[in-house]
Amino acid sequence: MKRSGFDYLNKITAVDYVQYLEVVYILYNTDTKAQEIVKVKLPAERPEIDSVMDLYKAADWYERELQEMFGIEVKGREAKRLLLEEWDGVDPPMRKSFAWGGDYRKV
Amino acid sequence: MAVMRINVGPVHPSTHGVLRLVVDVDGDEVKHVETHIGFLHRGVEKLCETRMYMQNPSYFEKLDYMSPMSWDELYVAAVEQAMGATVKPDAQVARTILLEFQRIANHLLWIGTLANDIGQMFTVFMWCFRDRSYVLKLLEDVAGSRMFYVNMRVGGLHSQLPGDFIDRSYTLCDIIEKNVAEYEKVLDRNEIFLERLRDVGVLSREDAINYGVSGPVLRASGVNEDVRKSKPYYIYDKVLFDVPVKNEGDAYARYRVRYEEIFQSIRIIRQALEMLPKNGGDVLGAQVKMISTPAKPDIVVARRELPKGEGLIYMVPDKQKPYRVSLRAPGFVNLAVLPKLCEGGKFADIFAVFGSLDIIFAETDR
Repeated sequence: MKRSGFDYLNKITAVDYVQYLEVVYILYNTDTKAQEIVKVKLPAERPEIDSVMDLYKAADWYERELQEMFGIEVKGREAKRLLLEEWDGVDPPMRKSFAWGGDYRKV
Repeated sequence: MAVMRINVGPVHPSTHGVLRLVVDVDGDEVKHVETHIGFLHRGVEKLCETRMYMQNPSYFEKLDYMSPMSWDELYVAAVEQAMGATVKPDAQVARTILLEFQRIANHLLWIGTLANDIGQMFTVFMWCFRDRSYVLKLLEDVAGSRMFYVNMRVGGLHSQLPGDFIDRSYTLCDIIEKNVAEYEKVLDRNEIFLERLRDVGVLSREDAINYGVSGPVLRASGVNEDVRKSKPYYIYDKVLFDVPVKNEGDAYARYRVRYEEIFQSIRIIRQALEMLPKNGGDVLGAQVKMISTPAKPDIVVARRELPKGEGLIYMVPDKQKPYRVSLRAPGFVNLAVLPKLCEGGKFADIFAVFGSLDIIFAETDR
């Protein structure tokens, strides 16, 4: 992708479809102004994905966010601490299975 | 000399927001910077999954309390795409005007706080606040509140424009144009201001693209990239305006880009006001409770040029609530480049560089 001119990584995010996880890369070409979305399907159990840090430095914080919020292990990059919070052994909060009592209608 | 580790924060290192930096210094030279964010994390993306579509805009406004309407509009635009709704022609013009006023307000506040941070104390800051308050007063009369407007509805705005909106906007443009031109005399001829910003925190074109920075930071590094030009929305393809681009990539270039953007925004507003009918037109939007299933696309990607950079919403819509809302906050990406800009510089320059990036922590931490 990068060789074909998509030099700008706009965003990495993930969606939890319960049966599987989907990691989404939004790429952008600063010359032709074209946008491309790449989706990668991952199993819900023990998801792993390769890092794209060597291609796009912008991936650093997004990949740390994936590790923290979705529990996706990103391989091939130096381990860094979690990005936003120092969670203490809780489930990845952005997964749909995350138990939370924040629904005001149930309180 | 041995390398010393200094903890900065968690307090306001410059302005608005809480950041903690761990800085390794050798004498006065910065060797390594580690950023700790997350002090303002509220789980906005998760909260959005539990609320109905039009309960969410007020969360988005709090993402960037310096330009709330921009985020509000971005989210409502994503909802409109999910519904397949179109925006009324007059409302498109009105939204453009309001968004550009919001951009002016954001840049004014930024210039004021930047000048404050680096030693041009209070004079420019007070001028900026004075001019920003004129803008906020107009937005207040349009939306009903001074800071958090929640003014966008699907297809338009929450109420018609006030009767004197057009006349007041013209007057306001004249006032701002005249006042902002004065800042240049105080800032650009100020030796301290120039010394603190020039050749500080230089970001090359290649690095700017590779690190994914956006908005004025990207344009100050010589990349001509503006969503308003590359993927025009509303009436941005019908109005004439320039995108200021600088090649230096230093903090001063970032200041110049934002400064010139204020005048371009005024240019856009004046052209847009001429497109608006004399009575303000019909801009009323609909009150939407849920999205019917057939119109539902799989994903929605909405992009906007926010004052601080490119904002993007990746949304997976569902019938009543969004299944997933993912935000690309410009501050999140622009802050990631801070260690790169500071390393090799002086300790005191960290705050000049940080100030020049225009970070707001509510959207960085979400």
